[in-house]
Amino acid sequence: MENKALFRPGHTACAGCGQAIAARIVIEAAGPNTIVVNNTGCLEVFSTVYPETAWGVPWIHSLFENAAAVASGVEAALKYLGKKDAINVIAQGGDGSTADIGLQALSGMLERAHDVLYCCYDNEGYMNCLSTSSLILTKQGLKKITEVQVGDEVYAFNQNTHQLTIKKCSGVFDNGKREVFELTTRHHSIKATANHPFLVLKRNGRGRQNSLVWKVLESIESGDRVVTLKSMNGGAPFKFPEIEKVKKGDYKVNRINEINLPRESEPDSMKYLGIFVGDGWRRSGRNEIDFALPVGKKARNVLVDLHKKIFASRISLDKDYIYINSVNLANFIDTLGLGQGAKNKTVPGWIFTLPREQKEAFVEGLMLADGYDCGESKRYVSASSELLKRLRLLLQTLNYRVGKINTQVKKKGSLCVSRELLADSKYGYICFSRKRGYDIDRYPSQYRYQDFLIENKFFQTEEVVSIKSKGIEPTLDLKVEDEHNFIADGIVVHNTGVQRSGLTPFGTNTTTSPAGAQSSGNIRPKKPMPEIALAHGIPYVAVASAGFAQDLQRKVKKAISIKGPKYIQVHVPCPLGWRYETGQLLEVARLAVETGLYPLFEYENGQLVSRRQITPKPVEEYLKIQARFRHILNNPEELQKIQAIADANIARYGLKIESQKEV
Amino acid sequence: MREFLEGSRAVAEAVKLCRPGVISAYPITPQTHIVEELAQMVADGGLNSQFVNVESEHSAASVVLGASAAGVRAYTATSSQGLLYMAEVIFNIAGMRLPLVLTCANRAISAPINIWNDQQDSISLRDAGWIQLYAENNQEAADFHFLGYRLSEDKSMMLPVMVCMDGFILTHGMEAVDLPRQEEVDKFLPAYSPLYKLDPAEPLSMGLLAGPDYYLETRFSLQETLREALDFIPKVSAEFRDCIGRDYNDCLIEEYRTKDADKVIVAMGSVCGTIKEVVDALRQKGRKAGLLKIICFRPFPYAKVYEALKNVPQVAVLDKSVSLGAYAPIAAEIRAAFSGKKKSPKVISSFVAGLGGRDITADSVKEVFRKLTAKEVNFAFIDLKPELLKEEYGE
Repeated sequence: MENKALFRPGHTACAGCGQAIAARIVIEAAGPNTIVVNNTGCLEVFSTVYPETAWGVPWIHSLFENAAAVASGVEAALKYLGKKDAINVIAQGGDGSTADIGLQALSGMLERAHDVLYCCYDNEGYMNCLSTSSLILTKQGLKKITEVQVGDEVYAFNQNTHQLTIKKCSGVFDNGKREVFELTTRHHSIKATANHPFLVLKRNGRGRQNSLVWKVLESIESGDRVVTLKSMNGGAPFKFPEIEKVKKGDYKVNRINEINLPRESEPDSMKYLGIFVGDGWRRSGRNEIDFALPVGKKARNVLVDLHKKIFASRISLDKDYIYINSVNLANFIDTLGLGQGAKNKTVPGWIFTLPREQKEAFVEGLMLADGYDCGESKRYVSASSELLKRLRLLLQTLNYRVGKINTQVKKKGSLCVSRELLADSKYGYICFSRKRGYDIDRYPSQYRYQDFLIENKFFQTEEVVSIKSKGIEPTLDLKVEDEHNFIADGIVVHNTGVQRSGLTPFGTNTTTSPAGAQSSGNIRPKKPMPEIALAHGIPYVAVASAGFAQDLQRKVKKAISIKGPKYIQVHVPCPLGWRYETGQLLEVARLAVETGLYPLFEYENGQLVSRRQITPKPVEEYLKIQARFRHILNNPEELQKIQAIADANIARYGLKIESQKEV
Repeated sequence: MREFLEGSRAVAEAVKLCRPGVISAYPITPQTHIVEELAQMVADGGLNSQFVNVESEHSAASVVLGASAAGVRAYTATSSQGLLYMAEVIFNIAGMRLPLVLTCANRAISAPINIWNDQQDSISLRDAGWIQLYAENNQEAADFHFLGYRLSEDKSMMLPVMVCMDGFILTHGMEAVDLPRQEEVDKFLPAYSPLYKLDPAEPLSMGLLAGPDYYLETRFSLQETLREALDFIPKVSAEFRDCIGRDYNDCLIEEYRTKDADKVIVAMGSVCGTIKEVVDALRQKGRKAGLLKIICFRPFPYAKVYEALKNVPQVAVLDKSVSLGAYAPIAAEIRAAFSGKKKSPKVISSFVAGLGGRDITADSVKEVFRKLTAKEVNFAFIDLKPELLKEEYGE
């Protein structure tokens, strides 16, 4: 294949990821005679998910912290084979795997003088995420987190107005397998990693207004109140997919059960589909929709009436079943994604986009089929756990109180629609009921104290009942524009955080160095990795930036031309962790350099041989376009400390362009 | 040629005969003599090899991983804490199916820190996917390296091999060792031709992320290969006999006077030498004692063990490591070998001895035979000092 790209597109990096751009520049500059050794990290994960790889050069990943050592071994092997002069070896990793856990291996590689270029992609922190089983509420309906795509519109919590809002998803990230925990409230549950942030009620004491704060899961305790969704407005009828009807006269069709197919959803058809999900199925191998509705069951007559009204086709009945022999009805129902078989039935995502009355009609249909009243509450029974999980979320958009999913076993031999069960059958049920109104006018402060969002139409706060470890699972995260949160399993969650590493700058708000009343973020400046590398007496050390592609390219080429250990640190903005808009990648990268916060320089044999000179801009310009520094902007004292770091860099490396004399 | 050699020297000479291209190690007692000898050989020009002095065992294992991935025969050695520090890389090497031989000079694990011999270090890594061979004497320790590389690099295996030899007892003990000639070794162990390697002429990616869709199958294939190794190891052993002249039979177990025995000790490593002497002494007195030596602990030869012990009425298992809170490691396997089987020893007693370098003497072994009666011992330590326990528990 004539694909000569050494780092091919089609990997799964976020839009606006500086590392993906820098990695490509580095490998293209180094050329095809290069072996790449990669630490664990974003770059490794988004470029090589088995069975695919983005790499057009030989590439190896072993562990989080040992790329420098593995590269040492590769280099030693090439020397043994007499091939070292012909082949470059690049070891690369993120800032955590370079400056923290991998520093020892890197130091060993530099000190032993292996002929390897080490490339550190510095995105100034570590990332985190949600479990892949989460269901996300989007404008296009309920989706599994694994199905959400960049550009999808997801529901989010507006942190100023506390209202429901719709925002664009600007990134989906695979965060690998991690330990996940299940956070359970009375009506909701969600699985997430220990460092995933949730919106939690903060009581500020008597007489003071309560507020909402983001707290990571591991610091949430039972009794804390998290913000959850209780109701949604709006919605529109669903346009049913158009199917090409089978007609009389088609190949081998000489008679047909004529049928009307609705074009878009309305309450009657939703009620009909509700009954179908409960008691209907498509007979396998036949073009027939059947319902297990024996004589005497209320749903039987309702269904027959609805069928006549909507579809107006022939029906056959016996004492236990209703049969509708219609290829067109069967095909129509197949397009709706309701699932087949009692254990696989589901509530498809599009039902979440319907107007309230249609959703209620669907629930009514379900209840007619498989529900019953239990005092004031209703109970719905199903053998499909996916159906129950999704129904629970649907009910939560309709302002119901919904309990947890319970399971029971129906014994072998007991009757199910007048037949004996051949084996024990496991099924689940949920109970739900209408919420009672609160007399807020009479007891305003009490209710508001109990539930800060009591008057909110869409959201409520709910007490956390338990948090339990659920083992290791694959995890994903979304990035959502502006609000940086979304609604997963009915709970408001922050799209991501970033944990601090040794290269996280002073003052950065990360989830492990959060800004708060007593803290203005990360307490220490960046570990001086270029100086540490330089102290090993190696022949070449350079700092580059994804914002200055040609400079980076030149530095890599130069490094490759020099024998011995080389260290290049590349500043690579991360839209997820730094929280800038994806289109601002270059602007962010360039401002870091132009403010003096990320000086670009080059040392050969211990001598400073070049640096990018600037007309320094104030650091605010760089800080203000990233949410990770938002808390610094109205704190002059902290701002001054960051300006001082830039000023020191400017003085130390002579970055400032002095006013030029006329020649 | 037969020479009187220290175990470490014998191993170093054997490694040299295997012609590794890259050697990397971090010094730790009692492995040091092996790598010192190799470093000297490289310095003297007798061994054409890249010797990489690393800053830790984690990096030593990573260096040989990289070298193996680049298509070169590589070697490392370690002990105890060093092996545990490597653990992450040890699993990684097996998962990446990279051939390699590592010598583990078996030593106790801290705390309390202790530099003397037991087998806790390599036993703790039994689940990593490596073939583990345990040597009884210096001759075996040396020979298992030839066998190790041959096994490891075979296209049907592509698995790393750990040669385990008891620290000090073997590494620092002098014995007569017969080392093969270079031509013989070259015939048995041809130059390494890798199945895959990092090569710009044919770029490929190694060590990819495998999600739930693929991971399970990678573990399955490792498990299958290790199962197949039980048939392959005896074949390689036969090749070794034909080329070099020494016969380790199936190289999985060794049966010593077990055929008509009514009491057999199962053990692994250097202690087997002592047990053989005690068995001989008991036989002279007309007692039907025997020894079953486990050579290959991973993969574990359940069928061979079953055949060897099914008619033995009383079996004692002598472990030099513990799985704290459970049956001792070898005892657990021996008991598992008879689970659900028609024939079985009436008694499988389990004894642990020699931890942290406590000598297992002929008397200790006799004590095991004495305690091996019709009443099964579920788990017992041998050679405990009651006076120290008194101090500890105030009894």
